[in-house]
Amino acid sequence: MGKPTGFLEYERQLPQDRPADERMKDWAEFHTHYDIEHLRKQGARCMNCGVPFCHTGDPTVGGCPLGNLIPEWNDLVYHGKIEEAYKRLTKTSNFPEFTGRVCPALCEGSCTAGMNGDPVTVKNIEVHIIDTMFEQGKVQPRIPQKSTEKRVAVIGSGPSGLACADILNQCGHKVTVFERSDRVGGLLMYGIPNMKLDKKIVQRRVDILQKEGITFLTDTEVGKNYSAAKVVNEFDALLRRNSSEGFAGGRKKRC
Amino acid sequence: MAVACLLGAEEFGFATGPLITMGCVMMRVCNLDTCPVGVATQNPELRARFKGKPEYVENFMRFIAQDLREWMAKIGVKTINEMVGHVEKLVPKHLHHWKAKEVDLTNMLYQPKICSNDSERYFNTPQDHELEKCIDVNALVRLCQPAINNGKKISASLAITNINRVCGTILSSEITKKYGAEGLPEDTINLDFSGSAGQSFGAFQTHGVTMRLEGDSNDYIGKGLSGGKIIVVPPKKAKFEADKNVIIGNVAFYGAVSGEAYINGMAGERFCVRNSGITAVVEGIGQHGCEYMTGGCVAILGEIGRNFAAGMSGGVAYVYNKDNTLDAKCNKSLVLIEKVEDSEDVAQLKEMLEKHYKYTGSKTAKAILADWENEVKNFAKVIPSAYKEMITEIKRCKAQGLSDEDAIMDAFIEVSKTTIIKKTERSAVNG
Repeated sequence: MGKPTGFLEYERQLPQDRPADERMKDWAEFHTHYDIEHLRKQGARCMNCGVPFCHTGDPTVGGCPLGNLIPEWNDLVYHGKIEEAYKRLTKTSNFPEFTGRVCPALCEGSCTAGMNGDPVTVKNIEVHIIDTMFEQGKVQPRIPQKSTEKRVAVIGSGPSGLACADILNQCGHKVTVFERSDRVGGLLMYGIPNMKLDKKIVQRRVDILQKEGITFLTDTEVGKNYSAAKVVNEFDALLRRNSSEGFAGGRKKRC
Repeated sequence: MAVACLLGAEEFGFATGPLITMGCVMMRVCNLDTCPVGVATQNPELRARFKGKPEYVENFMRFIAQDLREWMAKIGVKTINEMVGHVEKLVPKHLHHWKAKEVDLTNMLYQPKICSNDSERYFNTPQDHELEKCIDVNALVRLCQPAINNGKKISASLAITNINRVCGTILSSEITKKYGAEGLPEDTINLDFSGSAGQSFGAFQTHGVTMRLEGDSNDYIGKGLSGGKIIVVPPKKAKFEADKNVIIGNVAFYGAVSGEAYINGMAGERFCVRNSGITAVVEGIGQHGCEYMTGGCVAILGEIGRNFAAGMSGGVAYVYNKDNTLDAKCNKSLVLIEKVEDSEDVAQLKEMLEKHYKYTGSKTAKAILADWENEVKNFAKVIPSAYKEMITEIKRCKAQGLSDEDAIMDAFIEVSKTTIIKKTERSAVNG
């Protein structure tokens, strides 16, 4: 897998960011994309370690907490098989377009190539895979084939709420996501600035999730304008995300 | 370690642990020459990355020893020897894991009553290999003393039976002790045996020793052959046809390093497996011939079995292929089948056959040599493709005026670049 000598032949390279004087004029993203040839060389740098630390996900060791199959899709990218790479990537990651932009890339921190040089540009490869798939229209709503007729309430529409909603919906449950704010996305929408993660990208994913059958209730705060008792009565299961405000242990309101 | 010792272990091997202390990250690319921490590689650029120190291993072993000491103190023993085999000190953990709970350790924790004195659990039966009774100690070493001491030529005839195993090995060891790996000049010691030789006849036989056997031999003849010459011919009285009958057993010349072998008869299966440098001529072989061979040259004048040259990564085999069965019987995943046309090849093969005839009087060799111009066309050359590429590259580097060593290194770097790319492409195709 990968190119065994790739890490010796190619240097780590990231696409050039937009020049500072141009960036000053707007709030748009400043990271840019590589073309496939550049990207293949970066994928070739992956050494396909026998013990790949990049996806151990063990907090004491490092690596991807999602357990992304990084060496596998690096290899597929090296061979120019972006669509195959996308399939491997979405096996473990619900929203690569978010993580590929804002993840702190623990994988790169634990990459073996980084021991004596620069690590593989895992994060950049990830975002390239998913963005290419969006460009080519390959990311389409996946309507669940069967229904369990079970209703699940997910409180909080931040990254983890969306991920839970996505997985539960794919299992065939009827999912309703409660969001206190006027827009879906939580931290993604209200915490991360556009230059890192554009709101359009968040909305693009929310639209897909909606098409897949997830119901989003915005401006709805459980316990205030939607009673907790009602939620318990109407749903078979309740999923409260850690940071949903107003619950014990949740994120404290700062404003 | 403490558990292993209580279960009966007397010695302990450490491999991965110490390697990790030296910087190994378990990349599992030891075979690709791309070890990124410089442990398992010949690439100078990568070797420069090696960060290990002997002290790290020392430290690791100290920790192991200390930890073991603490466990020993807990169970009240002072030495490892006192501890060996005391399974009664082990108490099984009862786990609730769905798989682990079904494991019954009773038999493993059984304490056999082997002796009255507990200390005898450690090393209670000394091994006796009865070396003083073997043919080498009894006869050969004494007989060849003048050769070992003064390099005097020795010729002798002896009878052999199949209880005489590893015949000639201690003799070779005595020679090596005095003369090192170079041994003695060719044919200093000539031993003629008659009868049926036991296993490993001429194993590790060194330079200067020629052993001729009239009769037959059991398995492992010439195992690890290290410079000596082995000749096997059927008894003069024998009425069978030499090229149709097996006269040496299986796994002949396993892992042989250097030397020569001439067999006037067929060999069993796995002939010349892992041969890395000997020249051998044989009249026919069984299955899996030349498997994993890495060097040397083999000529087969008759039948070959299935799966010939499987995993063969070096060396050359000339096969008499008059009936055109080689293509079907050869495992072609690593090797190429070529015609014997190159003048160097022809000369090499002819020399091998001439020697074979000279030493064994082989009828097959005689017939082939009599009509050499035509018969040479019936031979096929089996050569590993990667080996051929390497040989060609070395020749090219040498032609550019590089020294032998530099030529090998340059050729290695050049070839490994391209082969690794090929491998990757292949794995991509295979998915």
